[in-house]
Amino acid sequence: MQINYNFAFFDEGSKREIRRATLKAIAIPGYQVPFASREMPIARGWGTGGLQLTLSLVGRDDIVKVIDQGSDESVNAVSIKKLVQNTTDIRTTDETAQATLIQSRHRIPEIPLRAGQILVLQVPMPEPLRMYEPREAETKKLHAEKEYSGAWLMLFEQIMNYGSMTTGADHPVMVHDRYVMAPSPIPKFDNAKLNASEALILLGAGREKKIYAVPPYTKVVSLDFEDYPFETESFEDRSCRLCGSTGVFMDELYDDVSGTAYFQCNDTSYCLERMNEQSWREGAESR
Amino acid sequence: MNFDAVHDIQRAYRKVVESMSRPGLISDLTVEADKADGQWGGLPVTWVLALMLLDTEVTFCICSQREAELTGLLNQLTFAKRTEPEKADYIFVLHDAGEGDLLKALQGAKVGTLADPHASATVIVESGELSEDFELSLKGPGIEDESFVRIPLTPGWLEARAEKNAEYPLGIDMLVVDKNNKLLCLPRTSRIEEREVLLWDM
Ligand SMILES: [Zn+2]
Repeated sequence: MQINYNFAFFDEGSKREIRRATLKAIAIPGYQVPFASREMPIARGWGTGGLQLTLSLVGRDDIVKVIDQGSDESVNAVSIKKLVQNTTDIRTTDETAQATLIQSRHRIPEIPLRAGQILVLQVPMPEPLRMYEPREAETKKLHAEKEYSGAWLMLFEQIMNYGSMTTGADHPVMVHDRYVMAPSPIPKFDNAKLNASEALILLGAGREKKIYAVPPYTKVVSLDFEDYPFETESFEDRSCRLCGSTGVFMDELYDDVSGTAYFQCNDTSYCLERMNEQSWREGAESR
Repeated sequence: MNFDAVHDIQRAYRKVVESMSRPGLISDLTVEADKADGQWGGLPVTWVLALMLLDTEVTFCICSQREAELTGLLNQLTFAKRTEPEKADYIFVLHDAGEGDLLKALQGAKVGTLADPHASATVIVESGELSEDFELSLKGPGIEDESFVRIPLTPGWLEARAEKNAEYPLGIDMLVVDKNNKLLCLPRTSRIEEREVLLWDM
């Protein structure tokens, strides 16, 4: 394929603007820095904030991994990977440990991230206070004044109505004791990975034109109450049907034939690696 | 070799990202700075940063003995406009700046507002040689426990910076460079303390 795009799609002016915003975001953890979001040649609805961050960061030495809800092979992940590859000619990988840049929607990989890696999270809705305050000018004011009683009240009402916090994903967090932040629709299971992460985590919202960041070793606490502590999805006593893993985020699936439920790692590349390890070990033993 | 406005800037940017994410981490921009215009008046690495950050969307000012000349040069190079230090998005304090210039720049720099804390100045300073010597202790986001650096700058800069950053999230972010093409970043979140030199250290 003939490459007629700029390296990494964007002109240098667009990258410069995103880069300036990104550096500010790193300097003010959890604060949403506005930026002039660009039109992108990918399907709408997937959001483009993450992709714009990735393109502003990527260089010839990078190895990129793209995952969508735990899968490297979904249509969205593949089309993003293609766009990056076609405009940069760099390598891509499924293996988390090999990647230098990881763009993800809805998950933080199971394999712990390390220094030298950057995780870019795709954000559909960056404003954690939007649920009860529709006006941007007002939510901006609330953040400015660190006025988060509404956020707490919202959680409290859920507990009153449902007996527990019903945020399935995107459970709000407090960053560096200052900003309430939407972690993007990752499961609550992944919230702990934001705290004191070894890798830099950048979050991008294309439609809402916001970039924000969680630097490494930054305190990130999920909002909760003393009487109703934050609880993640529990997979206790569950193990993956394919690789046998426990203690990872799993999807519950149904076997139509037997009519029974079973569990499987949501992070498919993690699951594959585990299975490969096992077959390698078994092979080594039988040798 | 000629400076590559796409790839050299990208590589340099990633080093800035790394150093901004890990305050105290000293990055080496020699590969990129070696291709920079070494004769422009400031350090080569500062030239790389100017190209990385400046364009018509932002404003800057320079503290240097050759302020007028170098301001014209950066303006030609990046099309960014010069403005008063109190309004500038990027303030460059070059190695040949006057005695009190750094303190004045820090004191005058804009810190943003509570609604827009990002509307603050980034101060780029040319320093004496940077190293990881146990002189200053850094704590805060990006630092696991504590990191140590030596930043030889005008006495009083720590106090001026601390005063500017007293009301987080308001504050200024600093990029500090030296003649060896080293760079470290001090985002507003970093708390810096002078390490007490104890007798038995000497
Ligand atoms: Zn599995």
